[in-house]
Formats: sequence, structure tokens, C-alpha cells
Amino acid sequence: MVLELKDIKKSFGSKQVLSGVSFRAEGGRAFGLLGRNGAGKTTSIRILMNVFPADGGEVLLDGHPIDYGRMKIGYLPEERGLYPKKIIADQLVYFAELKGMSRREAVKAVDHWLERLGMTEYRNKRLDTLSKGNQQKIQLVTALAHNPDIIILDEPFSGLDPVNAMLLKEVVREQIAENKVVLFSSHQMSYIEEFCDSIAILNSGHVVLSGELHDIKRSYVRDRLIVRTEYPDNIQKDFGKDCTVMGDGSLMIRLACAEDKKSVMQRLVDNYDVDGVKVFEPSLNDIFVEYAGDGADKEDIR
Amino acid sequence: MKQFGKILKFELKYYFKNKVFVGVTIFLVLLIAVVMFLPRIVGMIKDGGEGTDSSPSERSIMLIKAETPREEEAVREAFQAAFTDYDVQTTQDSLSAMKERITKEEAECAFVLEGMASYTYYVDNLSMYDSNMEIADSVLKSMIQTGAMVEAGMTAEQAGEIMSVQITNDAVSLGKDQMQNYWYTYIMIFALYMVILLYGQMIATNVATEKSSRAMELLITSAKPVSMMFGKVIASCLAGLVQLIAVFGSAILFYGMNQEQWNDNPIVASIFDMPVGLLGYMLIFFVLGFFIYAFLYGAIGSTASKLEDINTSVMPVTMLFIIAFMVVMFSLASGDVDNTLMKVCSYIPFTSSMAMFTRIAMSTIAWYEIVISIAILAGSVVGIGVLSAKIYRVGVLLYGTTPKIGSIIKSVWKA
Repeated sequence: MVLELKDIKKSFGSKQVLSGVSFRAEGGRAFGLLGRNGAGKTTSIRILMNVFPADGGEVLLDGHPIDYGRMKIGYLPEERGLYPKKIIADQLVYFAELKGMSRREAVKAVDHWLERLGMTEYRNKRLDTLSKGNQQKIQLVTALAHNPDIIILDEPFSGLDPVNAMLLKEVVREQIAENKVVLFSSHQMSYIEEFCDSIAILNSGHVVLSGELHDIKRSYVRDRLIVRTEYPDNIQKDFGKDCTVMGDGSLMIRLACAEDKKSVMQRLVDNYDVDGVKVFEPSLNDIFVEYAGDGADKEDIR
Repeated sequence: MKQFGKILKFELKYYFKNKVFVGVTIFLVLLIAVVMFLPRIVGMIKDGGEGTDSSPSERSIMLIKAETPREEEAVREAFQAAFTDYDVQTTQDSLSAMKERITKEEAECAFVLEGMASYTYYVDNLSMYDSNMEIADSVLKSMIQTGAMVEAGMTAEQAGEIMSVQITNDAVSLGKDQMQNYWYTYIMIFALYMVILLYGQMIATNVATEKSSRAMELLITSAKPVSMMFGKVIASCLAGLVQLIAVFGSAILFYGMNQEQWNDNPIVASIFDMPVGLLGYMLIFFVLGFFIYAFLYGAIGSTASKLEDINTSVMPVTMLFIIAFMVVMFSLASGDVDNTLMKVCSYIPFTSSMAMFTRIAMSTIAWYEIVISIAILAGSVVGIGVLSAKIYRVGVLLYGTTPKIGSIIKSVWKA
């Protein structure tokens, strides 16, 4: 299953919010949609979910226009919210029914998910009696209960404690393993890096970078080495201004050219007491800042 | 359609599980029960406490003081016949002693006559509903008139016959009897007004709550705005109808149980004498009028980002509705329900539910006028419903300051 947004355009009034956004997400793999606030992520998601139509472009599933009547989409919005004064099971069943389930199926699915997330004891309580983290887990049920084919998770980890974050990771992995299209939108780059195989970075309504995360990282010139050592002084002396100390205490050595990699690595291992040497690859955070930061300009894209 | 059914069910449950809704309905039914059973209860208390005929010693004392003992006795006799609730006594007390008896509540009131044509009435607290003076006036008047006739040579019997002549009359209304119809029309219009205003505000608040609690983020991606809007409005219309039926139904039921006690109250009797056909019209105009305003309230609720904004946002619609209500109420009170303003209002969808209904109830309207009015109203319901759903779809996604009407119209036009 391949979900594809092709050249999506959208403007509100005179403001162009999306100017030809394209990306593709595959089933069985997680896709990260990144961008700063106001970059157009939520608008893209809403068009993808058919909340409002695009001014131009198309949403395709396996090459054909998506059939919203048949395709089920699960959505965890960034702005969390359900009915605070209503019984949890009632509203979860209601949302599952709205997504096309029969009442019996909905009750069964809701009970399954409440159990899976360890929330069964709150089934008949009002939502506003729960802690924020637990409310978040309830919200997750609305995204998953109707067994959607496409799952959109907007900032899924915000507000979760480490234990709950771990539980959510497990759940997301299960969903990916079921060959579903899982689309993440988050500012927490570590989670995106952990889950997503491919990404797209939006900036001012344009996709400024998209593709396989691995390939993107590889596309950077591999002319820097990271050295972990207890004794940095000798190395610093030896490499002079090509060697800088990183924030975590490790050293970064800039090579004259990428081809020197092997010989310099050998030299380090032979002559110094090093704990580890690896080629420097930019983190997703670095890439994001480069492409979506204030100084970023799409003309500079490599 | 499936979604609509589910939304309707969910929203209806919201009303019927709402403690305030259930509480208010029960309270109203109980209130009506108390009012309807009141004459029976009062009668029972009287029966138990006082017996059917109160003896003179238990009745309040009314004192009579005149210039001569002969006059005093004649007035006492005539007053005793007119004031059956009182024990009428003559008195020789001085004026101050008499006043003291009244303030000490030994006697309830006193008439001090200066001749037969002039008197002073003494009472401790003059009640708003004290009709003793009017009764005294007519008794004294007839005594003077009878006296004059006897003096002119008639026998007392002849004079009595002349004085007690009874005029019988009967009015035949060829159209509608406004006196007969006034009260139930008034009650129905008032019920319509209250239900639309209360439920309209409830819908607006309900939508704004969904928006401010961000449940809308999920709703808008789960259901079609038209289904959501219609589901909400029809659910509240049904809830309103259930409440009306509970209130009117219990009123009719309790009236039936106490009909004998109410027979001598022409207003209450006229209310429950309402033609069944009018109830049918009430239902049509209630449902259509309700929809028009409920859609507007729903659309406005969707444009408010915060619950606090609701009151100011709904003001224009509420004002429109109150003006419509005032026009109808003033026309109803003046008795001229067929004035030009009312005729115009009968075809404007925002006012016709009340104006046309009032005219049907109080006047004679040609059938085609009714059909045209209902057709315009029904067409407007569909139009406003669709427009509201569009505003709703745009409105629910707008956060921040409440948008201007112009920008909403622009967005709706584009959508």
C-alpha cells in the first residue's frame, strides 16, 4: 500500500499555505512529516483526511485517487481533546461507530484497546477524572480502535512519561508490522529517527527535503570523523585546527577529503588510545535545522 | 445517513442523561400537577377545617355604623345578604373604639355611613383584591333606588322586581372567538419562544464546547459536517418536543382529573378547550421555527473559539427572535392580529412560525396563505440548514479571535 500526495496546493484567503506539496508513504514503514509551526503539516494532514479539499493536486492510494468511503484513517490530533464530562467507554464507542463500525464491533474493539493500554479500570469513568497522560492514552484508542489502514499520529509522545512512551512505541511497532501506513508528525526528532524510514520536511508550504532518512544522511559528504577517547590532548595537538571538541567531549576531525577516511582511522587506532572512531553523520535534528531553520532557503538545497 | 443516525442517538442520550434536563422536566410536570390539583386541595382543606357552612362565630366580623338605628338595621340586613362570608353586626362603639377593634383584629372591617349615599370604609390592611367597597356601593345604590320607588308609590315587591331584572345575552362568533382563543394562543407562543431560545442557546454552547475542548478535531475527521449539524439540531428538536409533550400532556391529563373544580374558571376552561387541529399547526410551526433558529445557533456556536464568546456571538440571532416575539405578542394583546406587520411577518421565515400560528389561532386565514407560509418556512429550513452546515465546516476549524461575518461568508462561498 502506497499513499501519495501529489502537488497539493491550498490557500486560505490570500495566504498560500501549501504550494505543491508531494510526498509518499508506504505500508509497513513509518513516515515522518516534519516542519516548524505553521509550515503546513496540519493543513496537509487535513487534506489527506478529506476535511477540506485541496485547491490543486491529488491524494493517491496505490496510484488511484483515495476512496474515503472504503479506506479507514486513524488520527491522533496534536490538539488533544474529547468530551471531558462524558463516560470514557461511551465516547470511544461513539467515535468507533462514526468511523463505520457496528456497535458490537465498536464495543469489542474499545475493550480490547483499553485492556492493551492498561486502561480497563477507567472504562466507566468520566474523562476529566483522568491524569493528562491517561487521557492521552484514551485519545490513542480513538485513533486505533476502528482498525484503520492509515494511521496519522501528530506529536504522539508529547506528555507521556517514559513508561507510557515505551508502551506507545510497542503499539506503533505492532501497527507498522501489520503493514499499515503510519505517518508521524513531531518535533521530537529522536522519536522520528527511531521510527521513521523516510521523511519529508515542510517549510512555508514547500517540501524542502524528502526521501529515505538513511539516504539523506548518506548524501552528506563523509569527510568528518568522530573520535571517542579518554585522552584527547595528544590527538588535538597532532591534528591542530582540524580537530574540534564536541559538546559531549568527543572529538571531530575534519579530513582533507573523504577518501582519507580509511588512512586517518588507521592512524588514530594505531597511535592513540581511542574507544571508538566513526564517520560523522548529521542527526535528524541537524538536518531539520539546516532545512527548516531561520537561515534555510530552499534554493540552498543540495 | 448511518453517521447521522449515530450522531442523533449520541446527542439524544446527552439530553436524556442530562440531570438538568430531566430535573427541569420533572419540576415542570410537578408544578403543573400542583397548579391543576390546587382547587381540589384547597377545597379539601376547607372541607376538613371549616365544614361546608361556616357558623357566624367563625366568620370575620363586619361592623356597620349609621346615623339612625333604623338605617343601621336596614343596611345590616342588606349587607348580610350580600356579604355571606362575613358576620355583619351593627355597633354603638365610638369611632376610635371601632378602629381599635379592627387593628386588634377583633373585627375585619367597618362601614361608617353618613346618610345612605356616603360612607367611609375602615380596614386594617387594604388588600389589592378587596372588592367590599364595590359590593357595598351596589347594595347601597339599590337600597336608595328601591327606597325612592317605594316613596313614589310602588310596592316593595314591584320595586324589587324592577331592581332584579336580569339581562341574558349570547355572542355568536362567525370566525374565531378571540376571547376564547387568546389564552391558549398566548401559552403556545410563549412555549414556542422559551423552547427555541433555550434550546438554541444550548446548541450553540454544545458546539462551542466541542470546539473548545478540541473534541472537534476528531469529530470533523470522523463525520460529515452536515450529518453533525443535522444530528445535533434534530436531537435537540426531539428533546424539546419531548419536554413540551411532557408539560402539555401532563397539564391536559391533570386538568381532566380536576375538570369539575376548574369549570367556573373561564380562562382555564378556554385553554383546555383548544381545537386539536391547532395542536397540529403548533407542531408544524414549532418544528420548522425551531430548525431555522437551531441551525443559526449551531452555525454561530461553531465560529466561537471560547465558551465566553458565545453570549455575544448569539446576540444578533437572539435579538431577531425577541423582536419577532414582541411583534406577535403586541399584536396578540391589541387583538388586531391581522395588521400589516403581522401579515408581512407571516411570510418571513424568521417570524412566520410565531406570526402565522397566531393568525391561524386568532383569525380566519385562507388555506393557501397557510400553505404558502409553511412552504416558504420549509424551503428556508433546508436553505439555512445547508448554509449553516457550510458555516459550521469552516467555523469549527477557525481558532483564535471570532471571525468577522464578512470573512466567514467569503470562506463559505469558496468552500
